[in-house]
Amino acid sequence: MQLTYAHTFLLPREIVWELIQNEDVLKHSIPGCKSFTQLEDGSYDVEMGLSVGPVKGVFTGHVQMTDHQEPSYYCLKVKGKGAPGEVDAVAHMHLDEAENGVTLNCRMEVVVTGVLASVGQRVMGGVAKLVLGQFFKSADTEMRKLTSQV
Amino acid sequence: MASLIGSAVKRKEDPRLLTGNGCFTDDMKLPGMVYASFLRSPHAHAKIARLVVDKASQLPGVIAVFTGQDLADKMTSVPAMWFLPGCDLKPKDRPALAVDKVRYAGEAIAVVVAKDRYIAQDALDLIEVDYEVLPAVVQQEKAMQEGSSLLHDDVPNNLALLWKAGDIPDQVFEEAEVVVKERLYNQRVIPNPMETRGAVAQYNPGGGELTLWCTSQNPHIHRLIYANVLGIPETKLRIIAPDVGGGFGAKIATYTEEAVVACIAREVKKPVKWIEERKEHFMATSHGRDEVLEVELAGTKDGKITALRVTNTANLGAYLSTFGAGCPTIDFGLMVTGAYAIPQAAVVTYGVYTNTTPTDAYRGAGKPEATYQIERAIDLFASKIRMDPVEVRRINFVPKESFPFGNAMGVTYDSGNYQLTLDKALELFDYQAFRNEQEEQRKKGKYLGVGFSTYVELCGFGPSAVAGAIGFQGGVWENSTVRVHPRGTVSVFTGTSPHGQGTATTFAQIVAEKLGIPIEDVELVHGDTQSVSMGWGTYGSRATAVGGAAVSIATDRVIEKARRIAAHELETTLDQVEFINGQFTVKGDLTRCRTFQEIAKSANYAWNLPEGVEPSLEGQSFFDPSNFVYPFGTHICVVEVDEHTGEIEIKRYVAVDDVGRVINPLLAEGQVHGGIAQGVGQALWEGAVYTDQGQLMSGTFMDYTMPKARFFPPIESAFTETLSPVNPLGAKGVGETGTTAAPPAVVNAVMDALQPFGIHNLDMPLTPEKVWRAIRSGRDNG
Repeated sequence: MQLTYAHTFLLPREIVWELIQNEDVLKHSIPGCKSFTQLEDGSYDVEMGLSVGPVKGVFTGHVQMTDHQEPSYYCLKVKGKGAPGEVDAVAHMHLDEAENGVTLNCRMEVVVTGVLASVGQRVMGGVAKLVLGQFFKSADTEMRKLTSQV
Repeated sequence: MASLIGSAVKRKEDPRLLTGNGCFTDDMKLPGMVYASFLRSPHAHAKIARLVVDKASQLPGVIAVFTGQDLADKMTSVPAMWFLPGCDLKPKDRPALAVDKVRYAGEAIAVVVAKDRYIAQDALDLIEVDYEVLPAVVQQEKAMQEGSSLLHDDVPNNLALLWKAGDIPDQVFEEAEVVVKERLYNQRVIPNPMETRGAVAQYNPGGGELTLWCTSQNPHIHRLIYANVLGIPETKLRIIAPDVGGGFGAKIATYTEEAVVACIAREVKKPVKWIEERKEHFMATSHGRDEVLEVELAGTKDGKITALRVTNTANLGAYLSTFGAGCPTIDFGLMVTGAYAIPQAAVVTYGVYTNTTPTDAYRGAGKPEATYQIERAIDLFASKIRMDPVEVRRINFVPKESFPFGNAMGVTYDSGNYQLTLDKALELFDYQAFRNEQEEQRKKGKYLGVGFSTYVELCGFGPSAVAGAIGFQGGVWENSTVRVHPRGTVSVFTGTSPHGQGTATTFAQIVAEKLGIPIEDVELVHGDTQSVSMGWGTYGSRATAVGGAAVSIATDRVIEKARRIAAHELETTLDQVEFINGQFTVKGDLTRCRTFQEIAKSANYAWNLPEGVEPSLEGQSFFDPSNFVYPFGTHICVVEVDEHTGEIEIKRYVAVDDVGRVINPLLAEGQVHGGIAQGVGQALWEGAVYTDQGQLMSGTFMDYTMPKARFFPPIESAFTETLSPVNPLGAKGVGETGTTAAPPAVVNAVMDALQPFGIHNLDMPLTPEKVWRAIRSGRDNG
């Protein structure tokens, strides 16, 4: 399944580039995030509670950021599994200059299995948009908090 | 006394079921019972790299957790039962629980036994599994291609079987006046009986007896297979099919879960229950159909069909299911010529393993697919030669004088009169009036269509010698014991194990009519391997034709013995005793008589029996029919297609079926209604959808459309009775007529409606979107 999402931050691109990959920002912005731990190789172990329509469960996963082209692109790889099934996602994150800030264009390829696929897929598109929306909104708030403190 | 056979007796079963007093598998509650839940693979094809159950085992309330490895020395894999010869069959058994590799999404890999269902479910979440995902193959033609991912290392090209029957030189088609060729897809459907599967098992460690209550259409077949799987003698394994809430073929198969439940009940020494959830059912109970049918029909310009050849590429799923090898070959292949005298026919079937739920018998099992291709091909042929499809059927029907008729595939149709059902259906329908209306409506932009299906199907499996010749690992005879108690009431033991058909009523009608006693005095005993000696299953519309015939013969034997006792008591000779309406009388002297009940008492008390006659009154029969039976009929469907939305409305549905002797018209009509609902369901709404990775997308009732009563107009049903010569009742079979006849009747009707748009073929299900796209593009299959 392909998903796209765009969010415009009214912040300079360099700041967004740095903060969108910041551990604290991520920890506070990922919906249902229970833990977010950096590993030695720079990737993260994550645990999150997810609720997709009728499908609910705790997912444990692994997040890795690669192919950095500062300040305009990086690739986000997410692998997760939980009782309802497994998720394997690759997201291409493009930071494009916009009026008064930067637009983060996210293009995502998601593969799901198990009940997530058979029951969840019907509602997945809508829910994913909702979850992504929550994430970017929270990230925006977190970034503002941090930048005003700086 | 009015004849009971042929009268619309209300079901004896219903008061019990309708007042909540039925006993289904899930109603079983045993002291100390615990519950099992299965962990199922989310992947369609993956290696199991790591499987750790420690955390689950430690959850309070969990009694045990088993993996495939744990069960390795406790039970075997579960084999299929139909090993078709001459097709290079590579049977692959279902493992008890997958060990190294999973081959379809939903395959079980571990089982938890816990104090209650909730704890068992929670424990599943604590089992840790790492999978190495492998590429999946889902579509059968792709799975056969060179380089496709293999399910089983020793099955090249995933080809489980290649079956060929008949051969027609290419020349016949090259030189034919007219040839029609079409690729049809008979899509995968999910049975969904109202009751899902389930099992309750109880083990007696003292004597080693194991009792398994399960949702089975054929408890004796379950005993036959599971005794071996569990390593227990048949004498100590008792299978009970209590009330069973529908099966449609899906409860023929001997699955792994029921055997695992029996195995772990023996291990934990407590009764264990497992009830399949609906979402499990979608993934783990066998699916039906899924056959790609390439049909080629040769004929003359004046409508005579000269040859037919068909290639069936059948999706068998991940393992070979119980009857999996037989459905797309014997059941399908022998019936491809349908109700028509086609001189030459040939069939090739590829059976292919894929990363999907195994497929097996589903209401009709092969015959609906065979009927679909021939009935669709006839319409395509009619359209090509610009002849009325009814006329083409008439021209090619096997004439009634030709029965018994040997078709081009080598089977002999027992009896038939195809013109009779067609004439009766046309009379009910008023064909000419419809064509006039269709013409009128088209001018107004309303698109009506009519579709015909003049089907014949093969039912009532027997004789057993044929079963042996086609590699079926069992017999197909049936037995009955009719036991008369001292007060004249009768217990009828039958190997036929019903799951909603109303057999306890129809069989009681047969016995009550023959013995001249009230139907209330007759009770059926069935579904328990300990009380019934043998039974080969309720499937293939064989209950009445084979099981009912055994009941009929056993009852005759009761009468035979009772007559000897009566003659003795009446001090006359056997040939002077008449038995009418439950009374034995001396010919010409009505004052000298004995009631059936009086003889029942005499036989059981045994105070004064004739010489050489043993006490008690009991008849037994083991009936092995001499041939299959071949019900047939004409279904006519009228639809209206909305040009703007692609929506299809069924305006009329006329069904004239000939199922031989109708024992109970009420129940026969019920079978016709249900069958048509399922057949129309396949034509218009149902369909299992997988992603390329083998994820089942239609895994709930929100994604999988079941037919509902409000989708249908009143069904106009009628019967003709052409008796079968192969059983004493003259009965054929009624259970599968609807699913066999309806899909092509509906699709032919829609194609007739879409004729102005230049559309000839759309694959089922004919969803509004598909139809709308086709109308917009003016192309087949949109």
